[in-house]
Amino acid sequence: MPLVKLFGSILIIISTSLIGFYYGGKYTDRLSNLIYLEQCFKILETEIVYGANPLPEALTNVYKKGNKKVSFVFKEISDHLKANKNGDLFQSFYSVVGILRNSLSLKDEDIELFLSLGRVLGSSDRKDQEKNFNFLFKQISVLQREAKIEKDKNEKLYKNLGILSGITILIILL
Amino acid sequence: MDEKEIGIYEDVLEFISLGLSHILKRIPDTSKSKVEEIRLRYGAPLNIYISNSDYFVTEEGRLTTEASQGRIVGKKDIMETFQLISNYSVYAFEEEMKNGFITLKGGHRVGLGGKVLYGVNGIETIKDISSLNIRIAREKRGVSEKLIKFITDGPNKVYNTLIVSPPQCGKTTMLRDLIRILSNGDRLLGLRGMKVGVIDERFELAGVYNGMPQFDIGMRTDVLAGCNKRDGTIMLIRAMSPDVIAMDEIGSIHDVEAIHEAIKAGIRILATIHGDDLDDLISKRSLKILLEEKVFKRYIFLDNSKGVGTVKDIIDGNTFKSIYK
Repeated sequence: MPLVKLFGSILIIISTSLIGFYYGGKYTDRLSNLIYLEQCFKILETEIVYGANPLPEALTNVYKKGNKKVSFVFKEISDHLKANKNGDLFQSFYSVVGILRNSLSLKDEDIELFLSLGRVLGSSDRKDQEKNFNFLFKQISVLQREAKIEKDKNEKLYKNLGILSGITILIILL
Repeated sequence: MDEKEIGIYEDVLEFISLGLSHILKRIPDTSKSKVEEIRLRYGAPLNIYISNSDYFVTEEGRLTTEASQGRIVGKKDIMETFQLISNYSVYAFEEEMKNGFITLKGGHRVGLGGKVLYGVNGIETIKDISSLNIRIAREKRGVSEKLIKFITDGPNKVYNTLIVSPPQCGKTTMLRDLIRILSNGDRLLGLRGMKVGVIDERFELAGVYNGMPQFDIGMRTDVLAGCNKRDGTIMLIRAMSPDVIAMDEIGSIHDVEAIHEAIKAGIRILATIHGDDLDDLISKRSLKILLEEKVFKRYIFLDNSKGVGTVKDIIDGNTFKSIYK
């Protein structure tokens, strides 16, 4: 009987810790994905400002050159663009919002920044595109800083909370 | 043949916003193969040109001459079409937009109307696009075959030739086909292939898209796209040793200089010019010089009396007498 008790207690602690780690991990994910996203934007900027490659091609190149953990989003956009010939780039950007929120743990303000790129991308000459990118880089670094603060604050909190709530349940049950 | 022409039309529709291309897809097949221009103007009915006459297109895809029944083109149609034409990438067409048009895959050209912005180095870009003119390029292979015997003398000698016609009568198409035949050579016509240098100042002759000519201009042809005729001639002479230099739409005094340069180097010239007849040419100052010097040995006059590209006359440049028929 004590063996079953021990096994049950371990199971409870593991599962609550995992929940804690899952929520805490989201903050780490968001930060690292924002960093990867910035790298992808930098590649896209080079493709446009220096390479002058048309967008569908430029987006595919970002996918190939960037970190696949994030850059697959750009492939999705490129595919959407090629499949739907409705002449609306923003729609193609909008189509990946779900992925950004669920798979990349990005928050609403990050997604809004991403979408703002879809509004201006490709619609002007290279000089103007460069300006837009510079603006974008400034904003994304603000978001990264914020993500870092939140991560430092919350990651440990959630992880500890997970373990501690496991122990609390155990105490109550025993 | 007709099916291919319809195919070309439908390829062009790929670049037009869904709202309009649905309508344009419904026009009769017999018309599809003959569409020359599709014109989109903000706030005006959808307009297409078929065999030199214009029609409006109704919401149901019917052709009409009644303007009030035509589908009105909105801002959204123009914007979406422009996005598709520029492949969502205005920045990639900066240089071309300065010339007022964009070349599509297939060599079709889209003329742009809107607000022109000036920068330090002349025209910078076009903003607020308000009209689009999509000119469907149709390659007419073999239209110039019957002309070859008039402008060549032996298997690898071609006379300096000037093609003269009013706009929309097939000058460029004729020149392009001549380039192809001269460059490839033709055993039946007893022609050996020649090295042809093409100066394609307005991107019309070769229709270069992404570095690749979209028209068949022959296998011994080198293209300088976007280059002016004077610089182009000198570059070709220096580097490409052409037998023939072809250029579209001559007229300025610089073009005459270019032709003189080429002649000095023993290169033959094929060129086109706007005009109706010999008198019209004499009235152009720069051309008068060339006429007096008897630079061109053959003048080919085109009109559209029996369809686009009808050869009206061919005149010998020495005697100024007709040698056609």
